[in-house]
Amino acid sequence: MSDVSAAVREPWPDLTVQRQGVGLGIWVFLASEVLFFGALITAYGIYRSIHPAAFLAAAKHTELVYGTINTVLLLTSSVTMTVALRAAEARLRRATIGCLAVTLVLGVGFLLCKGLEYRDDLREGFFPGAGFPLADPPTQLFWMLYWIMTGIHAIHLSAGILVVGVVAMLFWRRVLPVQDSTMEGIATYWHFVDTVWILLFPLLYLVGRI
Amino acid sequence: MSEREQRHRPTVWQLAREPVLVWAALLVLLAISAVLAHAPIAPFNAAVNLVIAGVMIGLLAVFLMNLRMASALVRLVAASGLFWLVFMVALTFTDYLSRP
Repeated sequence: MSDVSAAVREPWPDLTVQRQGVGLGIWVFLASEVLFFGALITAYGIYRSIHPAAFLAAAKHTELVYGTINTVLLLTSSVTMTVALRAAEARLRRATIGCLAVTLVLGVGFLLCKGLEYRDDLREGFFPGAGFPLADPPTQLFWMLYWIMTGIHAIHLSAGILVVGVVAMLFWRRVLPVQDSTMEGIATYWHFVDTVWILLFPLLYLVGRI
Repeated sequence: MSEREQRHRPTVWQLAREPVLVWAALLVLLAISAVLAHAPIAPFNAAVNLVIAGVMIGLLAVFLMNLRMASALVRLVAASGLFWLVFMVALTFTDYLSRP
């Protein structure tokens, strides 16, 4: 059996249609994710419109350096993921696995950086509740949203890292051929996690800097 | 693999050219965004940074998520997520911003 016929599954007539099916499925899932993150960002918008001064004062204390490094890491990982997908479509097995490995390292780098940032945040006491360092109570709303939004984003990224790791291993062991439609799904999901961060970055890190 | 297929296989660098250009554009936009956050253009800082974020997401969706080459059906589904989002945000703020 050739690599191509091994990649085609029921009920698809060929690999092109199968890829389109996976693409459509993942976009339907992502449309629901847009609403999920959209609800959180709407909550942020409501609280910020009610307490504008407190949000500016609270956001001053997020770690801009960590946030910017993480944005660069994720943007770069999206590029390596795109190259992995294009290499897979061109049936370049080693290039696909190599790019997936770099993507994985960048994703793990993001989580490590986020961990260091969380450590610093906690050291300074920026967790809503007793002993919060800022006097104005609504500043805690900003920090509550910071923890929820970045936490849920990190969970999404962790899921992406896990899936990318498993798929890269399956390609490596030749259980799946690289031109399999799986790449289409994981690449689109990975980019979505990146787009969420692109939106969170100005909302959480670029506020109150003047 | 046939000789013909081998000959027409693109190299990794050919595949990476467009994504790397998009990456460079995204980094430039990120830098502009970080600089403008410190610029004394209040009250427009938030609006400017959100517009830049929108452009970055657009670049990513069109070139890296490949919506440029996607079928009409996929584009429609991608747009539907934004469509419902606009409804949610518009209706929510119609309520909150009109409260006394």
